[in-house]
Amino acid sequence: MSPRATGAAALALAIAGAGVSYARQSHSPDPAFATPNLSERGVRSLAAGCAACHGTDGRPAKGSSAAALAGRGREAMRTRLLAFKRGAIPATVMGQIAAGYSDAEITAIAGYYSKQRR
Amino acid sequence: MPPAMRRRQFLKAGAGVLAAGFPLRAAAAARRAKARVAVVGGGYAGATAAKYLRMLDPAIEVVLVEPNEAFVSCPLSNLVIGGFRTMAYITREYGTLASRHGVRLVRDRATAVDMDRRQVRLARGDAIAFDRVIVAPGIDFMWEELPAMNDAEARRKVLHAWKAGPQTAALRAQLEAMPNGGVLAISIPELPYRCPPAPYERACQAAAYFKAAKPRSKVLILDANGDVTSEAALFKKAWSELYAGMIEYRPDCRAVDVDVRTRTVKLELEEVRGDVLNVLPPMKAGGIAEPFVTVNKRWCEIDWLSYESTVARGAHLVGDALLPAPVMPKSAHMANEHGKTCAAAVVALLNGEPPNPAPTLTSTCYSFVSDKLAVHVASVHKYDTRERTMKPVPGAGGVSPSMNPQEARHAHDWARNIWSDALA
Repeated sequence: MSPRATGAAALALAIAGAGVSYARQSHSPDPAFATPNLSERGVRSLAAGCAACHGTDGRPAKGSSAAALAGRGREAMRTRLLAFKRGAIPATVMGQIAAGYSDAEITAIAGYYSKQRR
Repeated sequence: MPPAMRRRQFLKAGAGVLAAGFPLRAAAAARRAKARVAVVGGGYAGATAAKYLRMLDPAIEVVLVEPNEAFVSCPLSNLVIGGFRTMAYITREYGTLASRHGVRLVRDRATAVDMDRRQVRLARGDAIAFDRVIVAPGIDFMWEELPAMNDAEARRKVLHAWKAGPQTAALRAQLEAMPNGGVLAISIPELPYRCPPAPYERACQAAAYFKAAKPRSKVLILDANGDVTSEAALFKKAWSELYAGMIEYRPDCRAVDVDVRTRTVKLELEEVRGDVLNVLPPMKAGGIAEPFVTVNKRWCEIDWLSYESTVARGAHLVGDALLPAPVMPKSAHMANEHGKTCAAAVVALLNGEPPNPAPTLTSTCYSFVSDKLAVHVASVHKYDTRERTMKPVPGAGGVSPSMNPQEARHAHDWARNIWSDALA
């Protein structure tokens, strides 16, 4: 088994939300993921995935200490997300989530939030 | 009478509008609405879908049908059962969906989604016509699997507390009334069920309460599955380190019935008595989704790009009612993701455009192993074009290395933000 597949199997066991049979069927053959949609609407949808933890359009709810993404500098955010993805910044969840996005997607997400009003 | 006025009176007379005011902005939008979308169910998936529909295209009229006066969160509800948070903490109002986003809130119970007439029928009010409908019914229980539970009195005594609300407070009260030295028996059904880690979190919360208030008491977990279904190593470590001798875990214990009078869970080969029974029946899509159920009389299948039912054009489904994609958890976070992805697809379709061909979904699920320590499981899912389903991204996602106080704080932050993302 390739290291990639081993990691995927371990994740399947860890999540196991959908049952063992689904977990088995899911990792062979390697997934054929759709080409990322980096159109304006595609990026908006991609960025919406951050909102559950960071607030709608990157503005966290009152009383939350989650990082505010809206209006942050594009380059700084991109660099930080790529560092999370590489595991260069210690993190609980963020590295695991960032690893699910291509560098181009991360650049697009950083661009989206840099344009949101604070 | 102008159309907007007619519509307004129709809603008031027929269904009872939740919000006191009806904002001018929304009235203006309704007058030139290009389409009406009905959303059935105001949980994590439905409320999020309603809000994002209005955010993405204010020219679409959105009607949200929800029988409950307020939103009560399943995530963090185990903290109420442990006695560490109040019901008020996990309860949020729906009003902002109307006042800020112009969603029409109809406080009523949907009795049918009629795809021939394109209308949602209501228990009290007049039917709501729609161009497209998003059905977000959550789960219902398969009571037929537990014969003795087909009785109102039995259901008042043996609680599931698997839909946050009155049962959450009632289970807490049962634990408070239980004598020191008593046993809480938690019965878990086979996967798939709503929120895989939550029964194990509940065991931790009950044990945390017992440890402080009635230390001779125990938690007995009767699991129909062969092992802990989520974050097994983390939970087992928490049980042995934080609650030594207090939590007993028994795999392969499927409940087949309950004796309410003697407070006994009947397993396939034996009977187990408890002082408080918390029985989670097997689950299926909420009853209103019945016309869209395609798998084992339980779950609904969809096109993962449009969230449209595989058996009904114009009907979209989201949340726990879906047949999960490979290793996709029935989590609140995932329901929230379904809601916004479905909203974007519905907006695209109503504007004559195709849905996003490459959706990404994330999920983070926190579990409190005590009042101050938490763990998580996270995953990222992308669309597989060959199998037309969502699949976890290899190398992404995972679990906490160990229980820690930082993630307990993150979990509260997460709750504030996802409640706000769905409702405000």
